[in-house]
Amino acid sequence: MADVIQRMRPWLGTFVEIRAEGLVEAESARVIEAAFAEIAVVHRRMSFHAADSDLARLHRAPVGAGVRVDARTREVLECALRIAAASDGCFDPTIAAQQVGWGFLPRPDSPFAPDPCASWRDIELVDDDCVRLRRPLWLDLGGIAKGYAVDRAIEILIAAGATQAGVNAGGDLRLFGSRTECIHLRTSGGFHEIVPGIELTNAAVASSAGLRTRRRVRGRWQDTHVHGRERRPVGALSSVSVVAEHCIVADALTKVVLAASVKASRAVLAAFGAHACTHDSWHGWRILEDAA
Amino acid sequence: MHVRWLIPLGTGAAAVAQVAYAAQYMTIAQAQRAAFPAATSFDPVQPTFDAATLTELAAPAGWSPRVWQARSGDQRLGWVLEDRVIGKSELITYALALDPAGAVLSLEVLDYRESHGGEIRLPAWRRQFVGKTAHDPVALNRDIKTISGATLSCRHITEGVQRLLQVYERALRHAAG
Repeated sequence: MADVIQRMRPWLGTFVEIRAEGLVEAESARVIEAAFAEIAVVHRRMSFHAADSDLARLHRAPVGAGVRVDARTREVLECALRIAAASDGCFDPTIAAQQVGWGFLPRPDSPFAPDPCASWRDIELVDDDCVRLRRPLWLDLGGIAKGYAVDRAIEILIAAGATQAGVNAGGDLRLFGSRTECIHLRTSGGFHEIVPGIELTNAAVASSAGLRTRRRVRGRWQDTHVHGRERRPVGALSSVSVVAEHCIVADALTKVVLAASVKASRAVLAAFGAHACTHDSWHGWRILEDAA
Repeated sequence: MHVRWLIPLGTGAAAVAQVAYAAQYMTIAQAQRAAFPAATSFDPVQPTFDAATLTELAAPAGWSPRVWQARSGDQRLGWVLEDRVIGKSELITYALALDPAGAVLSLEVLDYRESHGGEIRLPAWRRQFVGKTAHDPVALNRDIKTISGATLSCRHITEGVQRLLQVYERALRHAAG
């Protein structure tokens, strides 16, 4: 009888857990290895820190030059631009300038300083494997690539014939299979506040919270999340969980809900067939279903 | 895609429970076999470090990684090192496999436990749940398999691996046998 095989390795700056059911043990081990290998590729190609990542090459290239990137990077950028457009820039992958300025990311090796007016609109997807920056800007895919890595990994498990599978990258996760599972949610409050949050089948969840990720920078607490359009920190005291079919969408939409108004968030969630809940100590838990 | 919310709506509902998430992924024996399928033996090695080296390695108190040499007959295939790291709220045991030249072959988390030390570190937070947790009606809390929440950093394990690579440099690279 095939067992449940579950493995965990550090990737994407967090812990990635991969679970596969319905395969014989040797096959499970091989498939999980392949899924981790795919996550490693996404990590390396889209890393802000690694000198040989696609992002590093874009940051080193002169403004306006076409840069060849991995098809995966191109796919993530395409999705990022779609969500940036739908959210009127609340989600914007060009917020790295703020994150560098606030001390969350190191200054990249780059011949230019980012233009304060640059935004997602200045990213041009030239063809299948070429990207061009129209203005000097720095990209950070930290708010979306983890979800994409989860999708890539679970698709490998599905293709290999797993009957039930799960990939969880530090809380951004996707489940496959007919069995319904209970996902617990960690609140923005104490370290150990965990509640049964969502009953889920065949879907993805991602969560973001300011309180757990913020850091002390030059003596002051600084939030990691950035409002894409207004370039101010957001989400200090709240946490957001988004459910969607794909983890890449769930991951990116958490940043939209942290930044946008409730009304605007509802519209974006509806456009992507996603659902969300928020938690803060003032309001407690809230579900952001479409009012219509 | 099927979704059903279970969260307690509003502030009044106090379904928050203190829970400990724990998972065992592999035993050390499984990790040894996975890294070196051809090995015929895993011989324990006991590297020792003086106080100065421990300080230099920024080793936490009580740090004592376990080390095995993977062998196939007379041939050295590599090394397996087992260590544990303590994060903000997690305790992780992991195995690092190195080839004879010290290159990383694999890194596997063996055991992951969350909310370790919570009672000690956050006594005030803990107190507010005294008497509540025992009566918590949410049976779902007893079997936590999957948690979505803000990302936990893996920085501690990265530091732990750097320290184990120093163990190799200082104690294993020139080991006899």
